[in-house]
Amino acid sequence: MRALIDIIVKNKHWFLFLLLEVISLIFLFSHNGYQKNVYFTTANGVVGSTYDVISSITAYLHLREENAALERKNEQLRRELYELKQAQELERLESTKHMYALARKYDVVHAQVVNMTLHKANNLITINKGEADGIRPEMGVICSRGVVGIVYMTSRHYSIVIPLLNVNSKISCRLRHSEYFGSLIWKRGYADIAYVTSIPRHAPVKKKDIVETNGFSDIFPPGLPIGSIQGIGDSADGMSYQLKVKLFANFATLREVSVITNYTAQERRQLEHQALNPAAQDSIPSKKQIKTETTR
Amino acid sequence: MSSPFLLRLTRFFVLSFLQVIVFNHIHLFGYVTPLVIGYMVVCIHRETSRTSMLLWGFFTGLVFDLFCNTAGMASASCTLAAMIQPKLLNMFRPHDAAENFTPSITTLGLGRYTLYAFMLLLILHAAFYLLDACTLADWYLTLLAMGSGAALSTIITIGMELLVRTNNKKELHP
Repeated sequence: MRALIDIIVKNKHWFLFLLLEVISLIFLFSHNGYQKNVYFTTANGVVGSTYDVISSITAYLHLREENAALERKNEQLRRELYELKQAQELERLESTKHMYALARKYDVVHAQVVNMTLHKANNLITINKGEADGIRPEMGVICSRGVVGIVYMTSRHYSIVIPLLNVNSKISCRLRHSEYFGSLIWKRGYADIAYVTSIPRHAPVKKKDIVETNGFSDIFPPGLPIGSIQGIGDSADGMSYQLKVKLFANFATLREVSVITNYTAQERRQLEHQALNPAAQDSIPSKKQIKTETTR
Repeated sequence: MSSPFLLRLTRFFVLSFLQVIVFNHIHLFGYVTPLVIGYMVVCIHRETSRTSMLLWGFFTGLVFDLFCNTAGMASASCTLAAMIQPKLLNMFRPHDAAENFTPSITTLGLGRYTLYAFMLLLILHAAFYLLDACTLADWYLTLLAMGSGAALSTIITIGMELLVRTNNKKELHP
């Protein structure tokens, strides 16, 4: 402190000089119009430049807040985008909602395709679920787009499926709008084309009509989409139509499938078995014979 | 009251009077006015304290400002000149100069005194006209005013110095 006082005393003439100069300059800039204008003009320029620099610095310092705000905005936009995509996906699935709604009425076991052939006459699909998962032969197999086939054989952890693309496959089906029914068969060749036979000639048939399961069998519930009519032709005997059907299921890219496990009614199966056995005729209630379509 | 103070006070009033009455009416090149009050700073002797010099310079300029409506210009300029004067005097004074050395034609000689007075008055005029212009836009006019004003003031200062020396000689040798 004493050293500071000594410095001030030693250089007091400098402080006095500065004081007198400041007083003089105050007089100058407060009592002379021209100098005052020059002062304010210059001061405004200096102050403006200073504020400009300060603004640049503070803007840089505020970048962190700006970034946080942008991140929040991005997060909000991402959430909105996700919700929109979800809504769009739901809307897209609305076209197959009918099938999903039907499928959900029954228990399904999801499985992955582990092996598949498409170029043979008797193509087969191997899936990675078997008896341990409740899968039994003659259960229906579907995918997200439509019917795939029917379980043929099962092991503990694997199952063999006869797909629609098998010359021995025969699925009972119907036309969605007219409800005339027939059988879906496959002929060798295209992996996405099958044929519906036994459609009577008086049935109103038009292209793009949906072909779906009719529920006559105990394998598939009614209403599962199979494909759409692509061409209308005559059968070999000329007595009925033979419809060229574009299959909904894309076998070339098929990976995920679902097996309908509890649709097969044990009571119905037993009843039909008894109906075919004359010894048991008396114990069967009088009912119309149910025609079943099975696959091989 | 010491004699030097009274002498300085008398000089102060006389110079202020002459500046206001006579020299303020001289307008070289139309606007250059000699600041003869600078003589107050030029003739401050060596032993004067820095504080005293600054106050003398400031009030000399302030009086000029009051009469000439140049608020702050002359006071700031004269204070600056008073601050620099000891350094400048040290450059021109003899090495064996006494503590109470007073700058004059007698002590410095005409040449050194002229140069010393011109440089100090140039600083005074430079500060004054720079504050007056407050810009370097018309720098050549400002330079002209500085140089011509300092030169004219130096001539007047030398004239006054010679007049004072003659009077002193008459007093010493009547």
